[in-house]
Amino acid sequence: VSDAAEALASAKAAADRLSKVSRLHALLTPIKDVRKSLTQQAAAAHPSGVLYGMPVAVKDNICTLEFTTTCGSKILEGYRSPYEATAISKLKAAGALIAGKTNCDEFAMGSSTEHSAYGRTFHPIDKTRVPGGSSGGSAALVAVGAVPAALGSETGGSVRQPAAFCGVVGIKPTYGRVSRSGLVAFGSSLDQIGVFGRSVHDAARVLSVISGRDTRDATCEDRDPLRLPTVPESLQGFVIGVPKEYFPADLDPGVRRACDRAIRILRELGAVVREVSLPHTPYAVPCYYVIAPAEASSNLARYDGVRFGPRFDGSTDLHSLYRTTRGEGFGAEVRRRILVGTYVLSSGYYDAYYRKAQQVRALLAQDFRNVFDRGVDLLFTPTTPTPAFKAGEKLADPVQMYLSDIFVCTANLTGLPAMSLPIGKVKGLPVGGQLIGKAFLEDEMLEAAYALERAVPATEEA
Amino acid sequence: MSVTPDEVLRIARLAELEVDGEALPTVAEHMSRILDYVAQLSRVPAGESAQPFLSGPDAIRARPDEVRPWPLAFGPKEMAPAFRDGFFVVPRLGAFDEAEEGR
Repeated sequence: VSDAAEALASAKAAADRLSKVSRLHALLTPIKDVRKSLTQQAAAAHPSGVLYGMPVAVKDNICTLEFTTTCGSKILEGYRSPYEATAISKLKAAGALIAGKTNCDEFAMGSSTEHSAYGRTFHPIDKTRVPGGSSGGSAALVAVGAVPAALGSETGGSVRQPAAFCGVVGIKPTYGRVSRSGLVAFGSSLDQIGVFGRSVHDAARVLSVISGRDTRDATCEDRDPLRLPTVPESLQGFVIGVPKEYFPADLDPGVRRACDRAIRILRELGAVVREVSLPHTPYAVPCYYVIAPAEASSNLARYDGVRFGPRFDGSTDLHSLYRTTRGEGFGAEVRRRILVGTYVLSSGYYDAYYRKAQQVRALLAQDFRNVFDRGVDLLFTPTTPTPAFKAGEKLADPVQMYLSDIFVCTANLTGLPAMSLPIGKVKGLPVGGQLIGKAFLEDEMLEAAYALERAVPATEEA
Repeated sequence: MSVTPDEVLRIARLAELEVDGEALPTVAEHMSRILDYVAQLSRVPAGESAQPFLSGPDAIRARPDEVRPWPLAFGPKEMAPAFRDGFFVVPRLGAFDEAEEGR
């Protein structure tokens, strides 16, 4: 069988699988468009690429030429980007096939994918629950095996949290490891493209391909692509810190059991595990929910019905056009965050909120530096305080929804690499364990993840 | 920290965002809830400080200042809701027009 025939077969099989899981509402691209594009891409794919023929689904806030990019928002309904993200170009150059755009919370603002303007995505195991968010569509498609890997984006845990809820691997690289050119901006000091995979190896392979320097993104570090580590025989020589603040009294008992078991396994693998403290952790979520909305209020100012996207008019003057388009085009959660962001940046409130949050962000980063300076190589924590929650359960109270990001948003605030991998189940629902590494030492984090993945009974009840 | 409906409207004007009158009480309630929650940051003593955290590289690399090929697959005409003769078409700027007419 020729290379081209193999790629075509892979494309057809991916389209068939995606069509069978349409009940999840994880894919925003119509399946007939995905099928047609996959066939065209397979014919043009680079046979020498390291991801040749691999279908990769892409969150709908990452620009592609093949498909629309709506960010899960009415304000970008039908929008076609005139350029593609650098991550997409790198995937295609490696022979990967872009398998459509996945559902997400509008502009990546949410933790359940319930804030998509196109309807919610269903949890792959229990349709009454959420897949997490904001990259819930990507996580769900990987979880059911429709694609071996998918791209998501992280501003405050939007890859790791849905990875934990859906039982797959999710990696957020160090800020600056992957180009953000073509990732629609939400919180520019926080945003990173991340990767989902069925296994650590699948996710790491894709991350390796999309990483590395890019002249189109000034915040992308001038570094070579990530080199994949080998699977270690043991974790001897690793010192793994377990921060006590990530194991509060109200942590779900099943999540605690799964983490305790994973920690035992890390010790059995030869790692030295020690308790550490990150004392400013309780302030991470409030800090995040000042900085992220502030940056969002600025970044989303560009959606005004003038240069792109639909115009919701009937307007007689320019300000009315802006307000009507933005008022009707954005959903409730995005409007709320723009208002909060504008408020915390406004005269009289800037010092109390925004400047204070920056002070706390510096203290959070210092917490991590202190721990790593004392010989700790990696941190292990639960990814989420609970397994996947019920749809609608947290919609009435935005703060309750925000608190589901409590263990993940610190890595975004501090720019550190972090990942979630399945470590067990609670009443049939997956539980994720999180590894947080030192900046640009994803290879160490992946080594530990490889070892833990091989040893932990991820499909068994904790 | 409680945000009144009038304050919501003031902030919405700054943000160029229309807020539906019916939704206004809920928006005010949710904003108050969020601002009350994030206000706990004030418990961190002002004296506690650390080196400011900045995302990204220490130094931003400037690109060469040179004319490059058009990087877009298509131009603004295809993206804009209204476009004519090389310009984005928008309604008149109300306040400016009124000032002009008043002269």
